[in-house]
Amino acid sequence: MRRYFNPAKVALNLSVFLLALFILGPILWLGVHAFVTDWKYPHLYPSGLTLNWWSKVFLDSALKTAIRNSLIISPIVVVLSMVICLPAAYAAGRKNYWGRKTFMITLFSANSFPKIGLFAAIATLYYTLNLMGTFLGVVIIQLLGTIIYMTWIPAAAFASVPRYLEEAARDAGANKFTVFRTITLRMAMPGILVAIVMSFLASFDEAQGSYLVGAPTIYTMPTEMYSLVQNYPIQVAAVFSILLAIPSVLLLGLARKHIMGGQLAEGFQIK
Amino acid sequence: MRSLLSKTGKEGSLANNGSALSLLGFALSLPPFLLVLGFVGIPILIGFTFSLGFTRGPNRVISIIGQQIHPKTHWWGTLAAYSDVFHDSRFVGDLVLTLAVTAISTVLVILIALAIALHQRLVGGRTASVLATLSIVPLFVPVVISAWAIHTFYGGDGFMRSFFANIGINFPTLTSTSTAIVIGSVWTSLPFSILMISSGVQAVPDALIESAKDCGASTLKVISTVVVPLAQTPIIIAGSFTAIGIMGSFTIPLFLGPNQPTMLGVEISNFFGAYNRPQQSLVMAFIVFLAASGIAVLYIWSNVKSAKESGRI
Repeated sequence: MRRYFNPAKVALNLSVFLLALFILGPILWLGVHAFVTDWKYPHLYPSGLTLNWWSKVFLDSALKTAIRNSLIISPIVVVLSMVICLPAAYAAGRKNYWGRKTFMITLFSANSFPKIGLFAAIATLYYTLNLMGTFLGVVIIQLLGTIIYMTWIPAAAFASVPRYLEEAARDAGANKFTVFRTITLRMAMPGILVAIVMSFLASFDEAQGSYLVGAPTIYTMPTEMYSLVQNYPIQVAAVFSILLAIPSVLLLGLARKHIMGGQLAEGFQIK
Repeated sequence: MRSLLSKTGKEGSLANNGSALSLLGFALSLPPFLLVLGFVGIPILIGFTFSLGFTRGPNRVISIIGQQIHPKTHWWGTLAAYSDVFHDSRFVGDLVLTLAVTAISTVLVILIALAIALHQRLVGGRTASVLATLSIVPLFVPVVISAWAIHTFYGGDGFMRSFFANIGINFPTLTSTSTAIVIGSVWTSLPFSILMISSGVQAVPDALIESAKDCGASTLKVISTVVVPLAQTPIIIAGSFTAIGIMGSFTIPLFLGPNQPTMLGVEISNFFGAYNRPQQSLVMAFIVFLAASGIAVLYIWSNVKSAKESGRI
């Protein structure tokens, strides 16, 4: 009898099902809407299927501009973030210097101020600096959201490179630069990759700040969503959502192994 | 095992570096520090003086644009904007809702994440990895999309209502309720907590779990006296990050919550934009910041404690 009915197993399967419904339900439901003509309560099937909403998005110049802006701004933000943060991450992971701990904690505190309040405060400053509604203004806002990823995660990765490997390479006659390139950098690469992916997504998905600072002159894909959901039918929002999710899915798919392998978790423990 | 290895690595690194202070290290760390100082620290400081009624200098433009600005009356400023906020009946409701949603969502997130992480550690197998993979999915979805997806899923025309109507149950419309904010907050916060907590739980040595079991400890006892205490630091980090994130969230309560009361993130934005009362908006931001700082202290304390225990400080 126990072979056929095991309450623990039933409970486990039930919880897997509920979690799947909870997590996947909403995104599948929205995704399907990109291909339907109409879907009204209480029908379990849509009235019909169509691809018209896709051409609607691709023919709308405002939506196209938003897509282009996002694809230009995010790579710029990530490269700037790498240039500014990676040397600091190396220093925080490898060197001991005055104020190192204060530095790490300052970066964290910056993260604990409520985002929307910070953006309101920054907007006050932006009015004075004439950055309101400018490209640079949006870049800076998005850059701020990437700093914590681009310093903390690579710092932990640099710190965990075993010193004896570097020393062995030095003993074998490699110069400092070669050691850094072939050992330190290579071993820290998974952490840096995770940081790049997380930073890109933080920038690409950033909505509140870019909206407050950029609208109504500069719209990115997420900020366009705010007006989209109010002014367009749900099917258009569904198409736009699928487009907006493509980079995230591709990039996270690329870095999934390292993210789940603990690189992200390692990075968030101050050492 | 992994944690043991990394610890010896750390000690080795300290021995190598000695405690010589590196000037180069300090210089390299300056750029992000200055960026944060310039675009986070200084705006917050200026914003704070503005909330106290300093309307000149960098606050001049916003003081001209905004309405109901209280200029300072004493040398240190005025608390008029703060008193405005505390006497606003909306604010009290908003604050209660914000704190309640934050507390309930954080507890739910930690419990779900802990359950999945423990199952993965103690039982393992295919189901465990399916659960872990499922719970990472929200990381792949931008928050604007997830908020809108949840809005439609639980809305009047949504799947939940349609599905239950077909089996004769009238499922409530959850969109525009505080329940929906909790659903959305849990949904978006789950991946980070799972990653933190499962990495902490995985690091508990097998030997400790086995020896506790050999002494006759039940699974529940093993969890409560061995695994959870040893994974305490990552659990606290996950909890504090989740709470701080939810407390200041904007998109989720905007799309999913009721109009009144709403969470403070939305109200801050309303006061800044729609109502054009920037001073009161910043006052609210500082109140949320104060609450978030309390949580941040917990996070830093927990990190320092774990660093001391493992001999890193």
